[in-house]
Amino acid sequence: MKSDYADYLIIGGSAAGMAAAQAISEKDPKGTITVLSEEPDMPYFRPMIPYVVTGKKKAEGIGISGNGPYTGAGIEVHTGARVDSVDTSRRSVSIIGKGQVSYDKLLFATGSSPYIPPEIKGTDASGVFALRKLSDARAMAKRAESTDHAVMLGGGLLNLKAAFALLELGVKVTLVVYSPEVLSQLMEPKDAGLIRNALDKAGLKIMTGHSARSIISDKSGVTGVSLDDGSEMPCQMVCIGKGVRPNIKFLSGSTIAIDKGIVVDRYTTCNDPHTFAAGDVAVTFDPVTGNRIMTALWTNAVEMGRCAGHNMTGLKTAYAGTFGIMNATQVADEPFVSMGIVHTNNSAYEVHVSASGSTYRKVVFSPDGERLVGVLFIGDITGAGMYRYLIRENMQIGRIKSHIVDQTLHYGHFLKG
Amino acid sequence: MHEPKEIFVNTSKCTACKTCEISCAVAHSRSGNLYGALQEKPFPKPRLYVEWVAPDINVPIVCRQCEEAPCMHACISGAISRNKEGVVITDTDKCIGCWTCVMVCPYGVIGRHLETHKSYRCDRCPDRETPACVSSCPTKALVYRTVESFSKDIRKDAASKMLAEERV
Repeated sequence: MKSDYADYLIIGGSAAGMAAAQAISEKDPKGTITVLSEEPDMPYFRPMIPYVVTGKKKAEGIGISGNGPYTGAGIEVHTGARVDSVDTSRRSVSIIGKGQVSYDKLLFATGSSPYIPPEIKGTDASGVFALRKLSDARAMAKRAESTDHAVMLGGGLLNLKAAFALLELGVKVTLVVYSPEVLSQLMEPKDAGLIRNALDKAGLKIMTGHSARSIISDKSGVTGVSLDDGSEMPCQMVCIGKGVRPNIKFLSGSTIAIDKGIVVDRYTTCNDPHTFAAGDVAVTFDPVTGNRIMTALWTNAVEMGRCAGHNMTGLKTAYAGTFGIMNATQVADEPFVSMGIVHTNNSAYEVHVSASGSTYRKVVFSPDGERLVGVLFIGDITGAGMYRYLIRENMQIGRIKSHIVDQTLHYGHFLKG
Repeated sequence: MHEPKEIFVNTSKCTACKTCEISCAVAHSRSGNLYGALQEKPFPKPRLYVEWVAPDINVPIVCRQCEEAPCMHACISGAISRNKEGVVITDTDKCIGCWTCVMVCPYGVIGRHLETHKSYRCDRCPDRETPACVSSCPTKALVYRTVESFSKDIRKDAASKMLAEERV
């Protein structure tokens, strides 16, 4: 450690941590900012690691500092720095093998780690991945060289991105999904038709309604997967995409309030006025449902991280919360955006769908029809941000409702409607 | 400090002729002229949008260069940044077409080039003194001014209208 004190100490060097550091450096350029990152690599854009698997991007090409809004100025980053305990009464944290650092303001931005279901046996074999870190991406790219067939367990977005990276490398890929359809968190099976067609066309083999019992391996690593129906699938690689869990282990024994993740108030402050939390590790709230939620989305983590950064400098800023469901991307040439309440089967929500052969736009209103609560756009995602704004502000939509239903909404309606 | 100029819209002067849209697309084409632009692939597209609000209001909608630009912070590849002039720009080489910026832009002014799988946006025409949309607008519905000078003119305009009404 260069110094054993920082005005602003940040644990975690990914989205929330670096966004907070940047926001602090903008508001309090004189304050000393130290970021502790447990990974060996300098902070990088985590969602870009599938491109490192395919080789389209090099690790050094996805670094955070110097890209986008990140100047990196005045921010001291320590890699390989793993925090094992926090003492909030003495305002100091202890780093394994590197001593103590004290602080005036502390941010927990430790993120989350892949959940590996304990009921699946043999997940410690080599060739089993959960694509989360740059080191995973490198190892996956290496293993892909000797992989003919890879089995992906879980049909979420992360696993789909990993699957496409492998397809691009010429690996055969089978996706094993327990749910009746892929992307079940982001859309209902009946809404997923266009996506499913695109995935099938892209050459991805999908087995729904199945789960893995165990992973079979020998000294070469993974050789196959045993499924719940007793069948066995030979493969040389397995990717597990079963969601993530917040990284809170280092807080055991501390006085920081935990409820699955780190509990914060609307100003991203923990139950200690010098301590803040943001990103995947923090418990936030959904403005639509009012529920306390945790999300694992880069964009959310940045937004909350910036908010926490402002609060740490004394600029009191309320976090507006985020939707439990929110994501945008393109899989197999099919763009989509899903946000808010999109699971409407057997519900009282007012649902309108307009679909063509290549587009599917579903809008969801509250049961009284007066508020927009969710949208799912596939194929045509035009203007999605306006809808996000409408959902998040929870506003009475009044006269513009007809434009939402008939898909003609534009910003002019907000100004002159 | 040099105050950056903004594009202001006077909706009462807009006739929805869409000259701004065409000149924007041409200004962002490789050939730089209408006939060349029509042949190009990917087809040059406008980065502002003239929309209609019933019964008779036309609203050109253009990137506002938000102070806490949601697109810039949301971008997962670090492709969006603010340049020295204060203009938010997308680095096409870094854009991966994940459309996160489209998901968060409250104005709906970020477009998608499907052929190249890249997003595009208003860049305030860095090579021109005045953005193409503004200089081509035949009714002066679009103006390119600093915030201060624009609001001064609005106050003057309002004052002269009041005076005119008093004379009647």
